[in-house]
Amino acid sequence: MPSTPPPPGPPAPPTPPLSAGADDASSQALAETFGSSFRLVKVLMAGLVLAFLCSGMFVVQPNQLAIVLQFGRPVGTGPEQLKKPGWHWAWPYPINEVVRIPIGEIQTATSTAGWHATTPELEAAGQEPAPQGILRPEADGYTLTADGNIIHVRATVKYRITDPVRYVFGFAHAPTLLTNILNNAILYASAGMSADAALYKDKAGFRERVLERVRQLITQADLGITLEPSDVETKTPVDVRQAFEEVNSAEQERSRKISDALGYQDQVTTKALGEAQAILARAAGASNRLVTAIAAEARAFQDQLPEYRKNPGLFRERLLAARLSRVLTNVQEKFYLPQRPQEQSRELRLQLNREPVRREAPATR
Amino acid sequence: MKKNPVTLATGALVVLIFASMLFAFQVRQTEVVIVTTLGRHTRSIEEPGLYFRLPWPLQNVHRYDNRIRNLEKKYEQTTTADGRIIVIDVFLGWRVQDPRKFLELFGDNLTEAERNLEIQLRTAKNNTVGNHPLADFISVDPQSLRFDQIEAEMLREIRVATTNFGVEIVLLGVKQIGLPESITTKVFDRMKAERERLVKQFQGEGERESIRIRSEADRRREEILAGAEGRAREILGEAEARAAAQLKTFEQHPELAVFLLKLDALEQALKERATLVLDPRTPPFDLLQNAVAPAGHGQ
Repeated sequence: MPSTPPPPGPPAPPTPPLSAGADDASSQALAETFGSSFRLVKVLMAGLVLAFLCSGMFVVQPNQLAIVLQFGRPVGTGPEQLKKPGWHWAWPYPINEVVRIPIGEIQTATSTAGWHATTPELEAAGQEPAPQGILRPEADGYTLTADGNIIHVRATVKYRITDPVRYVFGFAHAPTLLTNILNNAILYASAGMSADAALYKDKAGFRERVLERVRQLITQADLGITLEPSDVETKTPVDVRQAFEEVNSAEQERSRKISDALGYQDQVTTKALGEAQAILARAAGASNRLVTAIAAEARAFQDQLPEYRKNPGLFRERLLAARLSRVLTNVQEKFYLPQRPQEQSRELRLQLNREPVRREAPATR
Repeated sequence: MKKNPVTLATGALVVLIFASMLFAFQVRQTEVVIVTTLGRHTRSIEEPGLYFRLPWPLQNVHRYDNRIRNLEKKYEQTTTADGRIIVIDVFLGWRVQDPRKFLELFGDNLTEAERNLEIQLRTAKNNTVGNHPLADFISVDPQSLRFDQIEAEMLREIRVATTNFGVEIVLLGVKQIGLPESITTKVFDRMKAERERLVKQFQGEGERESIRIRSEADRRREEILAGAEGRAREILGEAEARAAAQLKTFEQHPELAVFLLKLDALEQALKERATLVLDPRTPPFDLLQNAVAPAGHGQ
C-alpha cells in the first residue's frame, strides 16, 4: 500500500514535498476506505430493515382464522378481529403477534374415563384386552349404571369452533376441558340408566342423554364451540360378555317360542273357523232337505188322499204292488220258498258275512 | 462534525427501543398483571394493552394467565354416607380472578396454588360424598338421582373455601365414579348371577307363554267348533219344527200316512245288498202259490 509510512531515519532534505504529498494521499485513501465500508453498512442496514418489515407477512390457511394482537390487545372489534384466509401483514413481535385458530376443519374429542385399556393397534385390529376378572381404576375405564352394573362407554364428539376468541383466549387448553365434559356426561347418563337400557334396549336414548348433557355443559362453560353429529359407544365388560350374550340368546329363544305359538294359534283358529263354516253349511243343507222332503210328502199325501178315499183297498194294493216290483228289482238275491204242508219241515242255511257282488248302476226309478 | 439525519434517526430509534424496554410493558389478552413498587402492590391491570412502568428494580411486573385452567386429581377413595367405598374423580375449571390476592398468597407460583386448590377440592369432595348415600349417585329412579345437586354442593363448598385465593372456580364436574379393584370382581359375580337369573326367567317365560298361547288356541278351536255344532243343531231343530208343522196334513188320514211311510221305509230298507227270502203269502208271490199248487202237492 502507498500509505505505508517511510522507515524512521535521518531526514532527507531533498524530499519534503514528497512527504506532504504522501500524507494527503494516505488520509484520502483512508477516507475512501471508511466511506466504502460505511456504504456497505448502510446497505446492510437497509436490507435488515427491509427483512424486518417483510417478516411481518403471514399466510392464513383456508381452514384457519387469525387474530392479530397489538401490544397484547386484539386489533379491531367483533368480526373485524378475525383475519380471513390469505396474505396479511402485521408488525413483527413484540409490536404485533399473530394467533392462528383452526376453525374450518371439524375437531374431534373423545372421552377418556369410560373405556377399557386399549392401544391404537388393538383398536385397529378390533381386539380387546383379555378378561382379568378385575378392573384396575388406573388402567381400565368404566362407568357405573343406575342398577350398579359396570359397563364401558366412549363418547366421540365432533365439533366446530364457533367463537374462536372465547375458545382461544378464554381457556388455557379447551380440548382438555371438553374431554372432561365428555367424561362427566357419560357418567351422568349411565348413572341414570340401567345397564340393559344403555347397552341394548335404549341405546339411542342413552346417546341422546350423553349428548344433551355435553351440550348443556358446553353452553354453561361458554366453550365457544358447536357440536356436530357425534357418536356414543357402549360395551359390556369382556369378563361378563358371555353371560350377557346368553341372556340375549335366551331372550331371542323366548321370542321365537312365542312367535311359533302365535303361528300355531293362527293356524288352528283359521282351520277351526273353516270347519265351523262347513258344519253350518252341512246343517243348512240338511235342514233344507228335511223341510223340502216333508213338504213334498205332504203335497203327495194331499194329492193321493182323495183317490184313497174312493177305494182304499184297491189303492193300497196298487201302490203296494208297484212299490214291491221296484223293491224286488233292487234286491240283490231273492229266494222263493214254496209253502209246504205243516208236517214237512225244511232247513234253510244262510251264509253270512260273504262279500256280495256289487251291481252296476242300480236303476231304481 | 457533520450531522447525518439518518444517523440521528437510527440513534433515536435505538434509544427509543432501549427506553421502551425499560419503561413499558405489554399485557396480553390472556393475562392479568400486577405491578409492585419496591415490593408493594401498586396496581392491577386486567385490560390488555401497552403500559408504562418504572424500570427494574424500582417496579416489578407479575403476570398471570387468566384463562380457565383444568385441574383434576386421580384415583382417590371416598366413603359414602351408607359406608360404601367409591373412587371418585372431580375436575375443576378455574382461573385467576384477583391477581393481588393471588400474589399475596402464592407469589408467582402456580403449582403452589394448584396444590392448595387440590387440598380444598379433596375436602369438598370428601365432605359432600360423605353426606350422600350411593343411591344419590346412581339410581334408576330419576327422582332420587342427586347427581347435579352433589356437583352443586361441591362447587359451593370449594367456592367458600377458596374465597381469599383470588381465584374463580368456573365449573366443577364429577369425572369418574369407580369402585375399588376388589369390589369390581364382586360386581362381576353379581352381574353374572343376575344374567343367569334372567336366562332362566326368559326360558321360563318362553315356555309359559308358548303353552298359554297354544292352549288358548286349542280352547278357541273347541269353542268355535262347539259353537258351530250348537248352531247346526239349532238349524236342524228349526227344520224339525217346520217339518212338524206339516203333520197336520197327515192327521187328516193317519192310516194312509202310515201306509205311505211304510212303503217308503220298505223301499229304503231294501235298497242295496239285500237278500229276500219270500214265501207264497207275500204278495205278489201269492200268485205263484195258486199257480204251483195244482201241479205240485195238490193243496
